[in-house]
Amino acid sequence: MHGYLAYCLKRIGQFLLVVFIGVNLAYVITHATPIDPVEQSVSAVTSFSSTAPDAIAQMRESLQELYGLKGSRWDQYVTFWRRILVGDFGPSLSAFPTPVSALIARALPWTAGLLITSTLITWALGNLLGGLAGYYRKNRSLKLMGVLAMGIHPVPYYIVALALLVAFGFIWPILPIGGGSAMNLPQGWNWAFVSSVIKHSILPSLSLILLGLGSWFLGMRSLVSNIVTEDYVVYAEVAGVDSRRILTSYVMRNALVPQVTGLAMSLGAIFNGAVITEKVFGYPGLGSLLIDAVYAGDYSLVLGVTTVSILGVSICVLVIDLLYPILDPRVQVA
Amino acid sequence: MKRIRAMLVAACALTPVWALTAPAHAQGIPQNIPRKELVILENPEGTIKNAGWFNMWAINAGSQSNGLQQVALDTLWYIDPERGLDGSWDNSLAADKPVYNADYTEMRVKLRRGIFWSDGVEFTSADVKATVDIQVKNPAMRFSAVLANNVAEVQAPDAETVIFKLKKPNSRFHTNFTVRWGGIWILPKHVFEKVEDPVKFDFNKPVSLGAYTLHSYDPDGKWYIWQRREDWQRTTLARYGQPAPRYLAYVDPGPPDKRVIAQLNHELDVIHDIAPEGMFTLAKQGKSTRAWFKGFPYGHPDPTLPAVVFNTQTEHAKNRDVRWALTLLIDPKAVAMASYRGAATISAIAVPPTGVHPDAYHLPMDAWLKDYELDTGKRKIKPYDATVGKQIADSLRPSMGDQIPSDPNEIARAFGTGWWKTDAQAATELLERAGYKKQGNQWMGPDGKPFSIRLMVEGDLRPVMTRAGTMIVQQWRQFGIDAKVDVAQGTLLTRRAAGDFDAFIGWSVETWGGHNDLSYFMDSWHSQFVAEPGKPQPLRNWQRWSNPELDKLIEQTRTISFDDPKGIEIGKEYVKLMVREMPIIPLMAYNVFTAMDQTYWTGWPTSENPYANPVTNWGNSRYMFVKIKPTN
Repeated sequence: MHGYLAYCLKRIGQFLLVVFIGVNLAYVITHATPIDPVEQSVSAVTSFSSTAPDAIAQMRESLQELYGLKGSRWDQYVTFWRRILVGDFGPSLSAFPTPVSALIARALPWTAGLLITSTLITWALGNLLGGLAGYYRKNRSLKLMGVLAMGIHPVPYYIVALALLVAFGFIWPILPIGGGSAMNLPQGWNWAFVSSVIKHSILPSLSLILLGLGSWFLGMRSLVSNIVTEDYVVYAEVAGVDSRRILTSYVMRNALVPQVTGLAMSLGAIFNGAVITEKVFGYPGLGSLLIDAVYAGDYSLVLGVTTVSILGVSICVLVIDLLYPILDPRVQVA
Repeated sequence: MKRIRAMLVAACALTPVWALTAPAHAQGIPQNIPRKELVILENPEGTIKNAGWFNMWAINAGSQSNGLQQVALDTLWYIDPERGLDGSWDNSLAADKPVYNADYTEMRVKLRRGIFWSDGVEFTSADVKATVDIQVKNPAMRFSAVLANNVAEVQAPDAETVIFKLKKPNSRFHTNFTVRWGGIWILPKHVFEKVEDPVKFDFNKPVSLGAYTLHSYDPDGKWYIWQRREDWQRTTLARYGQPAPRYLAYVDPGPPDKRVIAQLNHELDVIHDIAPEGMFTLAKQGKSTRAWFKGFPYGHPDPTLPAVVFNTQTEHAKNRDVRWALTLLIDPKAVAMASYRGAATISAIAVPPTGVHPDAYHLPMDAWLKDYELDTGKRKIKPYDATVGKQIADSLRPSMGDQIPSDPNEIARAFGTGWWKTDAQAATELLERAGYKKQGNQWMGPDGKPFSIRLMVEGDLRPVMTRAGTMIVQQWRQFGIDAKVDVAQGTLLTRRAAGDFDAFIGWSVETWGGHNDLSYFMDSWHSQFVAEPGKPQPLRNWQRWSNPELDKLIEQTRTISFDDPKGIEIGKEYVKLMVREMPIIPLMAYNVFTAMDQTYWTGWPTSENPYANPVTNWGNSRYMFVKIKPTN
């Protein structure tokens, strides 16, 4: 028990270090952007007008004051960490004065809902089918599935997404092609809204599942293909153990260990959002928020989203690290 | 047994899918609103991060063209870039045109009476006064600087009179309260006077002065629905009749391919703008789609002039001969084909070929352009070719057939008139006079180093202009210049202001379109506003060009009234100066491919009936709503 506690403390220390370095890197990179948020704002409000040049110069001054860009770099850095420690990312520069946390809080449930569901479905289906294909190597249906998985996997995401849009949005228009829910439908916990959300998520999640399935399938199939030649599996087969039991308890269970790690990493990465999915399907979420923030030079928002993402991935890896000694006794804790 | 079990499992799995997808059509339109009462328009701003923000007087805090400026706000005057409902000039909240004193230090405005805010409070001069006072008092507000710099005092002696006392003479002060795309919108005094910090006030739910009021919106910023006010008669738009649609939805329809699908599904009545290829698809497949022009080139020419904008503070572009040489290396037909697939309206002069400008500038100056002589150092040439527009039309006719007009006037209106001849020999002579030499296939500058020029383009954020830039770079390279495309993507605005470019494809010329006064952009070109190299350049002289002759023209314009016919004469002198100096290479109008579906609504503005600009994010697109009619 003492060994496990030390192991946990070591891992938590590593986690804090990773988060600190990651957030600092994000801070440096975002502040090195060549896009000036003040210029983006000025341009957005003056591009179509005949604002006098001297007024624009004053507008620039006012915005620098308003956005808190006038202090020294060190002051800005210290302010940033002070805010981060209490979970405050400050106001968004491109949607001033709305707090970054409010924008993230609005986008995150959409991203989490779409990506957690599709990641879990993809993971479960891919591993199940891959495991079966690796174990029942002569089964024709599973062989065909392997061919399909290998065939679809390398197709560019945008092509698959567009094909789905054309197929189910135009040729056979049974599914909505954009948005997170129907227009003019108040958001709330009622069937009309929930069913609308599910309906709007079918095409984006289908695109993610179709393309994500291949890698899990192929990975699991090759893992299982190796495990079935292990001595303990051969011994179980010779001993007459039921083949289903061999598959589930002897083969899949062992093959799943690296796949669980992969799942944790994938779940952590959902905090990056699914930029192309959100753009193509017009689905709300963190990815679009991040891209828009980058283009607007809104480094408060970029930092907010990347910090959430760094935390998401790091926490998932930490949880897996802490669980591994319990799941897999081969992992040394001392 | 196994088969039955498999079928049952499949049925269970498919039932929810069927249940969710059962209503096969109308997936992308607002629920519970009859289609005959609803117009769906694209909001080109896309998804709005800060969806619940309606305070337009804060800087860039929320959406502008989600319907807010088009149908909910109002101001003193409008100038439509097209013909307008009753002329391009429209007295909106003002009862008449502005009245200035002799030295332009005072502007008097008479307001309309009987106009009400959507909460029942009457609009008066106090609202106009508050619009000025509140913004002057809060420097972080959107129009604060422009008002603070101009207005010494604003008086409201009675409910229908406003007197602006100006700090310095300004014969164009009223243009701040005149909508081209937008303008200084009037804010409701009775709302804002109770607000502690107007910079941080979201103005949700907005109180309207326009004919529509907010019905609902998506907290995730994908759509906004506006409902016609019950008391629409008490708004300025009522002078032209009842707005026909009871509801307007401004939506983010997503990328171009989805916009096409949405319109083919009749779920998007007006596409704000789309790539030429998308427009061609709609024209071919969407039998009910209508664009500005009935056939090719479809798009509405905005009063904006895409051009090669030189940074005249760089060594190469400082020299007029170099600028002219680079102009004569451009093949306008190839650029028109590469950018707009031929659907471009070209312009050789630095005025957009749209609205009232062709009659004031392009056609009257054709003779001057034909006679214009350029001295290359070795000879004099006449570089203008009056037939380029016709040549583009002729080259398209074999593939587009009857869609291409044959009447010279129609060709001029659709494709433009003339442009500069491609003349590599003249370009060589000009460069040689400037001290450049060709060594092998490479042109060298006067300093003996290769003549390199980066042409900045926006990339996939503005594909049409990027394609134009790429074609021009190709033509310069073929001549032996080390030209490169410089893809700026999102950094363009920052780099443009910082002067971090040799040349870029963009515009520094935008006009009213519906009025011939050029001060809209020209005033900001005065040398008093040109920043030193490395310092940020204010809007809009991105070429950082100073010229004493131009300064004189600007100063003359400042002393005459907005409607003075002398303005056109000054404008012609400006055009001649620009031709001689070529600080920007004018290319074409910014054609906007606004696609209008006639399935549910007809009567959209078109080139045959140009009563308004159809582009959905322009403030004056509101005039469409009193002219369109439901089809059933």
